[in-house]
Amino acid sequence: MQIDDTLLALSDPTRRAILARLAQGEARVTDLAAPFDISLNSVSKHIRMLERADLVRRRRQGREHLLSFNPQAMDEALAWMDAQRSRWTRSLAALDALLIQEDQTP
Amino acid sequence: MTAATIVVSHRFDASLERVFDAWLDPARAAKFLFATPTGEIVKVEIDARVGGGFLIIDRRPEIGDAEHFGRYVEIDRPRRLVFDFAARKDMKDATRVTIEIVPAGTGCELTLTHEGVWQDYAERTQGGWTMILEGLAQAL
Repeated sequence: MQIDDTLLALSDPTRRAILARLAQGEARVTDLAAPFDISLNSVSKHIRMLERADLVRRRRQGREHLLSFNPQAMDEALAWMDAQRSRWTRSLAALDALLIQEDQTP
Repeated sequence: MTAATIVVSHRFDASLERVFDAWLDPARAAKFLFATPTGEIVKVEIDARVGGGFLIIDRRPEIGDAEHFGRYVEIDRPRRLVFDFAARKDMKDATRVTIEIVPAGTGCELTLTHEGVWQDYAERTQGGWTMILEGLAQAL
């Protein structure tokens, strides 16, 4: 399932930092690696996971590979998180209603 | 997985004790916990002590029975309740829920924190978290 890849890709701080950088605009792999204290090879692996989740897309411009953020893949993951959140907000609202109902029952 | 945390808050015009006790009282829990517009809670078992468990089954017309398993980690009436929460009986997919209640105005405010929900999700999907991790190890 696509969402598994998305959630897995998002579960790592380095990959989230890469996405945050790409959200500002296209970048080359070497640009992305610069702020991190890890090897270029390691950054490439993170990028491949992001590509597998379709969170990152790659295009070639001459000899350069340019990477960009694809926000669409994020939507399903966010929708799922929303469903989890609403389970609790619904429960708390129902508890509130229940206590009010008890107050009104003699 | 710090980003996979859900935090929700709610203000109640009721005492801390009443709000706290509702979570551990099967009759009340059946009326609010995991309530859905179309579903019906068909079973509530609560063993309200540290190490004790709970089971809540809600029946939904669209998807059938959903089982919610839990195990109490901290019970500190009326301010703090911590439990592990799972969709599987063996609780291998457990994630942690912390409830904190503080006085607010004439009532109280409850804050619920659910940690590790992404892990919870992955565990429930076909492949399971273990397989995903194995796949990740191979990919690296």
